[in-house]
Amino acid sequence: MRTRAALTGVFASLGLVIIGWQFGGAALSGGTTSLGFTTTSAGGAGVETGSSSPASSTSSGAVSGTFLGASESTRFGNVQVQVVVASGTITDVVAVQLTDDDGRSVQISNRAAPILRSEVLQAQSANVSNVSGATYTTDAYLASVQSALDQAGL
Amino acid sequence: MRYVIPTMGTVASMEAPAGAETVLGDIRSMLDDVEARFSLYRDDSELSRVASGELQLMNSSAELRRSYADALLWRNATRGAFTPNRPDGVVDLNGIVKAEAIAATGSILDAAGLPWWTVNIGGDLLTRGSDPRGFAWTIGIVDPADSTAQLCAITLDGTRRAVATSGTLERGDHLWLGSSAGSGDFVQVTVVADDIVAADVLATAIAAGGAEALDDATARWSVDVLTVDRVGALMATPGIRSALAA
Repeated sequence: MRTRAALTGVFASLGLVIIGWQFGGAALSGGTTSLGFTTTSAGGAGVETGSSSPASSTSSGAVSGTFLGASESTRFGNVQVQVVVASGTITDVVAVQLTDDDGRSVQISNRAAPILRSEVLQAQSANVSNVSGATYTTDAYLASVQSALDQAGL
Repeated sequence: MRYVIPTMGTVASMEAPAGAETVLGDIRSMLDDVEARFSLYRDDSELSRVASGELQLMNSSAELRRSYADALLWRNATRGAFTPNRPDGVVDLNGIVKAEAIAATGSILDAAGLPWWTVNIGGDLLTRGSDPRGFAWTIGIVDPADSTAQLCAITLDGTRRAVATSGTLERGDHLWLGSSAGSGDFVQVTVVADDIVAADVLATAIAAGGAEALDDATARWSVDVLTVDRVGALMATPGIRSALAA
C-alpha cells in the first residue's frame, strides 16, 4: 500500500517539477534563474546544497547539468525531484526524496541498476586503509589486501 | 596506530589514535567471550553444546538467547533470506555475532573517548569520525575474482559508517535459503549502511536471496549496495555511484 502511495506521489510531483523545470529553463535562457534550483556538476551523482545558476557547459549554449528541484510538499509527503539535462534535453528524472508516514526521509529511487565495470574499476584509491571483503577465515585473511595493510601499519 | 587481534577464526584489525592501548585488553576479553560462546568450530563453545543437544536452548545464557532473538527478528524482517537456522537444524549465529562484536568493539573505543577509529573483523567494518588527515574514510572493496586486488574504493560520507561484504565463493556454507543453497545470482554483495548489524545481515540476505532480496533490501532499508554476479557484471544503487572514490 505504501508503494502505491509513493508512486502516486511521484507522479503527482513529477508534473509539478517538470512544469517548474520548464519555467526554470525559460529563466535560464534569459540569463537568470529564480526558481531555486540547485545545481551539481554535469554527470555527478552527488547533490550540492546551495542555490546557484546552472552553468552552460556546451558551446552551443544549450544547458547541461543535474538540477535538483525545490522540495515539494504533497499529500503523500515531501518529494524532491532531480532532472538530468544534456544539451537542453531532459535525459533522466529521478525522485530523490520522500517523507514517509512516520516523518522519516526515505529514498524511493534506491534500486540497484547495472553499472559499467569500467566506471567501478576506475574508482581505485591509494588512500585505502581498510578493505571490505568476504574474508571469513584466517587463511583467507593472510592472503588478503587487509593483511598487507595491517603489516604495513605495524 | 594499527592493532591486530586474531579472533573468531579470522582477524580483527583496528585503527585508532595512540591511547587505544588502554582498552585493548577489554576488547580482547570481549572478543574471547564471543568466541567461547558462539564459535561452532570449537566443540566446547556454548553454541556447539546447543547444537549437539548437550545444552537446551532454553537453558542457555541470556547473551546467547538475545543474539538468537535478534537473528530471528532479522529472519522475519528479511522474509527468510537471512536465517540463523541451518538446513541441518543447527542454530548458527555466525551471521550476526560478528557484526555485534564489531559494534561492541566500537562501543569500547567510543567509551575511551577516541575521536576516530575503524574496526574490521573478517572484512566487515565500522568507522568513527574521519581519517587522521581529516578526510572521509575511504574503503576498498575486494575483487571477488582476486582477493589481492581492489575492485573499487568508496568514501563514507554523512551517516554512513558501516560496510559489510558477503561472498559465495570463499565459504558458501554461510548462506542457505530454506533447504537449498544460495540463489547463485551474486558471487559478492557489499552493503553500506549506518549500522554494522544491518549492513552485515542484509549483505548475507542478498547473497542468499539473490535479485529479489536485493530489490527488497534497497526498497525497505536505507542502504547502498554493490553486487557482482558470476560473469563479473556489476549492479549498484545510486548511493554507491556517488560514493565511488574519485
